[in-house]
Parts: sequence; C-alpha cells; structure tokens
Amino acid sequence: MAMGYGLLAMGYGLWAIGGPVCLAGQAVGATHVLIVTGLSGEPRFATAFHAAASTLYDAAKARWGVADLSLVYLAEDPAQDTRIRGRATRENIAAGLTSLAQRSAPGDVVLVLLIGHGSGEGGNSRLSLPGPDPSAADFALWLKPLAGRTTILVNAASGSGDFLAALADSGRIVITATKSAFERNETTFAGIFARGLSSGEADADKDGRVSVLEAFQYSKREVARGYESRSLLLTEHAQLSDSVLARTVAFGTQAAPSDPRLAALYAERRALEAQVDALRRKKGSLDSLLYQRELERLLLDLASKTAAIRVAEARKP
Amino acid sequence: MSALARLPLLALLTLLSSSHGGGAGRLLRAYGPRNDALQGPHDPRAEVRQLAETGRLEEAERLARSGGAALTVPLGEVLLLRGQLAQAESCFTAAVRGKLAGQRSAEAALAELAVRQGDHAEARRRAEALALAYERSGNGASWSSEDRTAAGRALVVLGAADPESVREALRSFDAAVARDSGAIEPRLRSGDLFLDHYNAPDARASYQGVLALQRNQPRALLGLAKVFAFEGSPEAFTVVRRSLAANPRLVAAEVLLGELSLDAEQYDSAGAAAARALATDSASVPAWALLGATRWLREDSTGFAATRAAVGRVHPRPAEFYAAVAEAAARHRRYAEAVRFGREAVALDSSSSRALGVQGLNELRTGAMDSGRAHLERAFSRDPYHLWYKNTLDLLDELRGFRTISTRRFRIVAPAEEAELLGLYLGPLLEQAYDSLAARYDYQPPVPVRIELFRRHADFSVRTAGLTGLGALGVSFGSVLAMDAPSARERGSFNWGSTAWHELTHAFTLGLSNFRVPRWFSEGLSVLEERRARPGGGWGAGPSLLFLAALKGDKLLAVSRLNEGFVRPSHPAEIQFSYYEASLACEMIEQQWGRGALVAMLRGYRDGLATPAVFQKMLGLGMDAMAQRFAAWMRQRFAGPLKVIAPWDGKGPAQGELVSLLRDGKEQFEAGRRDEARASFERAAALFPEYTGAQAPPLMLARLARERGDPKAALAALARYTTLDESAWDANADEAALREQTGDVAGAAAALERMLWISPYDAGVHLRLAGLAERLGDFRRAVRERRATLAAQPADPLEARYQLARTLSLAGDSAAARREILQVLEGAPGFEKAQLLLLQLKGRVP
Repeated sequence: MAMGYGLLAMGYGLWAIGGPVCLAGQAVGATHVLIVTGLSGEPRFATAFHAAASTLYDAAKARWGVADLSLVYLAEDPAQDTRIRGRATRENIAAGLTSLAQRSAPGDVVLVLLIGHGSGEGGNSRLSLPGPDPSAADFALWLKPLAGRTTILVNAASGSGDFLAALADSGRIVITATKSAFERNETTFAGIFARGLSSGEADADKDGRVSVLEAFQYSKREVARGYESRSLLLTEHAQLSDSVLARTVAFGTQAAPSDPRLAALYAERRALEAQVDALRRKKGSLDSLLYQRELERLLLDLASKTAAIRVAEARKP
Repeated sequence: MSALARLPLLALLTLLSSSHGGGAGRLLRAYGPRNDALQGPHDPRAEVRQLAETGRLEEAERLARSGGAALTVPLGEVLLLRGQLAQAESCFTAAVRGKLAGQRSAEAALAELAVRQGDHAEARRRAEALALAYERSGNGASWSSEDRTAAGRALVVLGAADPESVREALRSFDAAVARDSGAIEPRLRSGDLFLDHYNAPDARASYQGVLALQRNQPRALLGLAKVFAFEGSPEAFTVVRRSLAANPRLVAAEVLLGELSLDAEQYDSAGAAAARALATDSASVPAWALLGATRWLREDSTGFAATRAAVGRVHPRPAEFYAAVAEAAARHRRYAEAVRFGREAVALDSSSSRALGVQGLNELRTGAMDSGRAHLERAFSRDPYHLWYKNTLDLLDELRGFRTISTRRFRIVAPAEEAELLGLYLGPLLEQAYDSLAARYDYQPPVPVRIELFRRHADFSVRTAGLTGLGALGVSFGSVLAMDAPSARERGSFNWGSTAWHELTHAFTLGLSNFRVPRWFSEGLSVLEERRARPGGGWGAGPSLLFLAALKGDKLLAVSRLNEGFVRPSHPAEIQFSYYEASLACEMIEQQWGRGALVAMLRGYRDGLATPAVFQKMLGLGMDAMAQRFAAWMRQRFAGPLKVIAPWDGKGPAQGELVSLLRDGKEQFEAGRRDEARASFERAAALFPEYTGAQAPPLMLARLARERGDPKAALAALARYTTLDESAWDANADEAALREQTGDVAGAAAALERMLWISPYDAGVHLRLAGLAERLGDFRRAVRERRATLAAQPADPLEARYQLARTLSLAGDSAAARREILQVLEGAPGFEKAQLLLLQLKGRVP
C-alpha cells in the first residue's frame, strides 16, 4: 500500500521492541479484546456471527498472545461454545469494558468488535442484544475509562454507520460496516475483517503484521468484491474514523531480540529498510535504470541481512 | 461525449413519453369510430377518405373530383397516395390559396410533400408558417382536431432539424385527441413518430389506441406490424397481412411485407411486394428502395442500375433510397457495401439523420470506429431522441474506458478490469482458432480481427442491435466480433471459449462467401466448428430432448426453409432448433461429400448462386432430394433415442418412455430407492447418451456412486458428462476433485482447464491449476495461471506476484522472475519469502 510507506518506515525504528501489538511512535503495551455477537434472528446469522468472532478470538489467543483475562467473548447463546465468556447483554458489555479498563494501562491497545444487527440512528444507534439494546451513547460512556489506551471499536453490524460520529475521538479508531444508520441490510464485513486482521492476506506490505488500516482496506475491497461476484448492489460501505492512527496500530508477532548481536543485525536491517523507503520516495525524480539498479542493490542487501538474522536466530541456544 | 449532452436513457424515454399527454393508453375509452375528418356517412370528405383508407383509390378519386372545391384537399390526398405528386401539389396549393376546407391539412401536406421531394428549405418555410400560426393561436385553442393534427404534422417536419419540435408535435397530436376523443389520425401520427425514434412501447400504445376505436384500421395494423418487426417478432408478417387485407393498396404495408420477405431471403416475394407498391405509387422512394435492395441482393446489377435511374427520376436527391439499401445490405451482413451505400446517401443529403446514422452504425460494424462515431454524433445532433444513436454513443463513451490486448492477428477489447485476464486465454485461443479455421476453409480473413467483450449483456445488445434485449451471446460483423464477457451471464450458462470460436468462424464463412452466405449455413458451420474445436468433445451444443421430439414429430424446418428459423421463428424454441439442425446439415454434408464440399458451397454463394443452385452444383442434389436425404440421415443419427421419445405436439415439453424413465429415476432417487434409481438412470443413459441437463443420467449416476463410496464409478460418469456439456461447472469441479484425489494430476488439470472456459474468475481454480501444472512440469501453463491469479485482482496481490515470480523461476525464466520479485519487494521490502527468492535468483542462497 503506497500510502502506508512513509509512516511505516518511520515506525521501523520502534517495531523492534516487539510484542503482539505494535504501535509506531510509542511504547507497546498489552492487548485486550472484547468480542460481542448480538441477536442473530436466524440460524445462518448465528453461525456467521460465531465464525467471525471465533476467528478473531483464536488469532488473539494464539497469534497475538492475549491473556485469557483480557480476552472476552460475549454471545447470544453462551452454551454455543466454550470460548464464550457470557451472554451478550447490555450489562455484561458494560462490565466487560469496565474490567478491561481496570486491567489495562495507558499505552495498551483495546480492541472491541461488535457483530450483529443494528437499529436506530445518530447517538441512538443501537446493537440488537438479548434484553435492552445498548446505544452509541452508551458505548461513548463506557469507553471513557479507556482514555490513554489506543481503542479500536469496530461495529460490524448493519446500520452501524452513525456509531462513527458518536464515538470518534483522539486515541480511538472507530470502524463501522456501513456509512450510515440507513444501510440496514445484513452485512458481510465482520467475517472478512476478522479474517483480514488474523491472517496474512491483508498484510499488504508483507511485514508480518496487519495494521488496522490494512485490515480495513482489505475488508472494504473484499466486501465489495463479494457483492460484485454475486451481482448484487453494494449495500454496505464501511468507514474509518482515523486512518493516520489506524496505520500505526498493527497486529502480529515479532520477538524482541535480547541478544546484542542480533539486535545489531536488526538495526542494520532497519537502516536498509529506511534506505529503500528513501529511494522509493525519490523514484519520480530518478532515472529509471539508475533507480532499478539501486533498488535491486538495496533489496539484495536487505535480503542478505534477513538471511543473516535467521541464521543467527537458528544458532541461538 | 457527443456534441449534445446525452440524457440517460430512462430520462430520454420519459421525455418523449411525458410530453404525450399521459400516453395513448389512457385515452382508450369507448369512443365511436368518428372523428372530425370523418364526419359521418353523408359527409363527402369522410367518404373519400374512407374509400382511400380501404384501398379503393380510383373510386375515391372519382368521388373527390365530383365534389368540387370542398373536396380539393381529400382529392390531393388521394392523388398523393397514387404517386401523382404534381397534381396533388396543385390541389393543396389551390386549397391554401382559396382558403378551402382542410386548408391547414393542405399546408401540412405541402410541407411533407416538399420533404418527400428533397426540398428541405421549402418544407421548412411551409412548416414554420403553420407552426407559427398554431403557436400564435394559443396552441390552436380554437382549432379543430384536424387542424391541430396538421400543426403536429408541420412540427414533425421541423423536428428533422429541431429536436424540440418533436416534443411539440406530440403535444399537438395530444391536443387534437383532446379536441376529438375519437380522432384516429393524430393517434396514428403519434405512433409513427414514436416508432421513427425507436420507442416501440409508446408506438404500440398509440396504435393499439386506434385499434380499440377501429379494429381493422389498416395504418394502425401497419404500425403494429412495424413494432413487431422492430422487436423481431414473427407476428409482424401476420399483422402486416391483416393491414393489407384491410387496405390492399397501402404502399407502406407492401414495403414492410417486402422488407420482411427480404430478411427471410425470399427475394421473389420481396420483388413482388415492391412491384405492387410501385403499381399504386410509382413515386414512392421506399418502394423503389425495396426493389433496389432486392435486385442488388440478387446480384441483378442491371436491374439495380435501372432502379437507381428510376428513383433518380422521381426524386432529385434520393438519400433515403441509398440509406434503405444500406440498411438492407447490413441486414444481410454485407457491411462493407452498406458503408458504400451509406456514403452515397450522405453525399446526397448530409442533413439526413437517417443517412448519417446508417453510415455511422455500419462504419462501427466494420471497425471504422472514429469515422463511425463522427457520423453517429452528427446523426444524433439532428435527432437526439433516436434511441439507437443515443445508446450506441453512450456505449462508445464506455468503450473509451476499455483496454485493448493485442495479439498477432487480434485486438481484444474488454473492460479494463477484465482485459488482461480474458486476454490471457482468449488471445491464444483465437490465434489457434484462426490457424485451424484457415486450414479447414483454405481462406484467411483480413486481420486484425477486433473482438469486443461486454460485461453487461445490455451493452453487447446495444453494440449489436442498437437496443437492449438481444438474446444472442455473440455477433460477427466480419472482422469485428462482439460477445458477452463471461461476467455478463450467470456462471454455467454459456462457454465463452466456444462462443468466441463460433463468432470467429463467421468471419471465415462471411469472408469466404464475400458476405453472401445465408444465415442458416453460416450458423450451421459455426456451431459445427464449435464441436470440432476440442478434439474428444466438450464444446458445442448437442441434441435436446425437445429437439428430438420435434424431429420425431416432423416439427423441424426443412433445409430449404431453415433460414426462416433464424429470421422468422414460428415458436420460441425454433431458433435453437434451427441452430442445431443447421449444424447437423453441415455435419452430414461434411460426412458424405467431404470437407471440400462445405468450402465449395461457400464459394458458390460468393459467386452469386442461391441455395438451390449451390446444392445442385456442389452436391448434385435438388432441394427436395437434399431435404429427404437429410431427414433420413437425422433419423438414422438419432435412431436410438427416437425410439423412446414421443412426437412433439408443438406445445408442451417432450414426452415418451425416455422422459418417463428420467422422471422415475428422479422419484426413486428422492424416495431413497437408490438401486432402482441407478437402474433407471443407467437405462436412460444407454438410450440417450448425449442428453444434458441438471438431471442428466451421468450426473445422477455420479451422485449415486459417490453416495455408495465408489469414486471410480463416479469419476467415470462425470468424465462422460463433461465431454457432452460445455457449461458444466459443477461436474467439472467434481471431476477435478476426484481426479486429484486419485492422483490423476493431468486429468484434474484438464477438468480445471475446462472450467476456465465456463468462468475464468475463480481465483481458487487458477491456484489449483497452477499447482497441478507445476507438478506436471508444464511451467508455461503454470505461469499463465499465476498471471491469471494476478489479473483476477486477488485479495493478496503481493503473494500472487511472488508466486508468479517463483513459477517463472521454475520455468527457467530468471529475468522475468527477477523483474517480478523486484516489483514485489519494492512494495514490501520486508517480505521474507520474496527476499529469499531474490537471493536464489542472484545465486546468493544462504
């Protein structure tokens, strides 16, 4: 993704710190995840909601190493799966967020994924749950204690569009599956977003991590493709509140090297990556042959450096 | 965009309709047959007009002449119908000067007469005067219905150069109906105006409005017949004959009948209709055009020259004659000559939107895109309500966003987002088809051949016929082909490879015959070549149950009448029957006389021979003998299934023992009586092995075999089926999976390859085929599949490009692999797999 190069390059210097979630330009903390699937209405929706939720749950647990107590999955039917912590009610969501606020610290990342059917509009947009439906205004209230964390709230429900204006804030990324409360047909965003965030498919720059922006762009594209392949009019237009912040928050694993020799290799590689990035930015002003020659040279050096890192890592006791 | 901004189609239609006072349909109340032009049985004016309307022109003239000044205008009208233009003009002039009854109708008639004689300035002067008077009178506030109709006629004349006048004309006709709710003439005029602008639905409503008032009104029947003809409905023949029954001297109806006959390549009938029309009105340019087109299509150059001379005597600048001949030439696929006639038409009258439009459309058909567009722009600027022009110009705008993929002899023009993917397959296929067909026909059509693919069927339809709704998959104009892209239709509904092969075959048969091959023979050869395209079968149509039932019930057309099945099918299934039957006729000729006979026949057509002469000369058979031999051959060819199929009654579905067997098998299957079902389907498969469809015996037998855990039997059944049905996506997918499971890599790859010609958009198929091709060591195919994956805009393009680089490397093309991997790493410098491949390519493996 060309638009991501500049900031990612800026981030390279810090990404070596490691951890499940990488934040460019700041220290990396722990990750906390709340997943909510609402009222399904039909078995096919129940299946689809659970599939999306499970995909993200498994990635958070296995790939990002999110601690059990920081991983909360609330669903319509808790008996459906052992991964489900409780029933998806208004009270349980409030409690879950309160708990995550208590467990987390400034610098941590909190990811909230809401899956289901929506209703209402504006601040009164709601997610359909067993019992009273929480509104966007409720979420605004519940998210307040998370100030200082980087919060990503993804409302993948139908008619979710107005959540964006109601919840957008600094240090917070809001993603909705629809552009307004009036796109009320069932959505396909949740499953695709979960897949994008948890697999390599959305990793546009192949750095081993999926940024929220990459996952969003991947999802938007794949949602549209899905409609097109079924010859259907696109009835969900996802939106994102803060693409700058979304570019700097990434999910994935990268071990922090404790070995000074390895750390030096990593540093050398980052320097090469920075040189590649600088060269790419000058592409328009350089002779194309010269550019290609220099690019190949740098890429070869970079590849050799990676190979050296892998060799060194393999030799580690 | 065109010089004039083009409104969206819907808006344009609405524009023309909304001005029409709520539409003719709403006016259909139980009015009597009277109008103020037909005042009643004792009104001499009405009597003259009634006689004229029923074709009793001599009586009408006598009565009019006996009626003195009061009947001057009706006399002029009758004289006009008889082609006595000078006398008619005198009558109308006298009526205007003497301010006689029907004076305004006379003014309108004089304007129309001037148009007919090519004097546009005079026509405009007269029409403007009448239109101005109408406007100054508060849009005819106190005018009679006949006078308002006259104003509308004048506005139609002005509409040739001023599109706004067309809308005004419709309003005037509405006003005429408002003044006299039983008026016929303004309704007819509205219908004609709609039809002139290709608005068939509103035209139909107008004519039906008249017919509700007068059941057999000949001009309304004629209008309706034109609507049917416009829609390609065989009803046109029936209705125009009804029109002629009501008025045997209606020249325009004779012309339409002749044109319909001409389209069916019934030249004698067309010539006879032209002669009858000219006997009534020797000054009718359309009748001369019909005669000219007939003579030209019959290769009667002397007769055609005489016709040109004759029309020159009745009209100083007969642009309409040449435009009509150009249209007839195009309808007979003689596009280059159509362009030539169109050029003559434009040279005679560069202000004629019809001439400009015909020229533009035919140039587009011959690939002269820029010139065609320019002519069409000019036509549209004069006639912005013309749907064909508008649709085509819109399509040309869209084509600007298409991408062209070039091969040695082809230009593949497709939507930008699909062009690369489609070109990967279509380019090599077309080159292969060209070589194969060139060898088979000993002929090479001019290159480059342009093939356009449209992802919306409506666009293809517009490119072909100017309007949406065409049922065909593809069309050939010679070296310009157009077809649906595979994305235009539901997966499994057609095979885009065989369609392209089919259309390219037309380029050979049209070219070799110098565009004189009749439709049935050209289609028959194209369908036959589809079957020949893939050794071992797999492409092309086979016999349907209904086809065989029709064969048994003698419901198929004889060879001598096969063309009617294409241009004038008598029932919806007949056109499909005709395609297949024509291909069988070609197959029989090839089998019994050899391939050279087919080529010789095409050359016979090229030399101007008609079908009977071609049969006689090339095959040594008369038409009847040929028909008998062919019927016997078909019965022999399908002897097995014919024994168990009932003769078709011409209406319902096929019946008979085979149908019962299939039904029984399905019921037994659904009831869980698997053994019985298996026995039924096995017997059905033995009786009619070529049967295809969702419940085809091999498909059901494969299903049963899989259920009982017998993949070998399932595979055998599927393999039988996939050689029969060129669009069987699921069966090929199942076959590929089974073959992969059993380790038959080559067989699996072949099945996947077949799937690509049904739909090339499934990235999973490309990935699997790439993998299988690599395993087979077929790196060329593997590279193609990697490129296809990339062209299909995958979710993970860098991974797809990396795979392409890797396969290129395996194929030994290190330079290309390096180029690709550098592109990958330029986008994602940290992509480790790609880094490793780069090191390997540079010989720096760690």
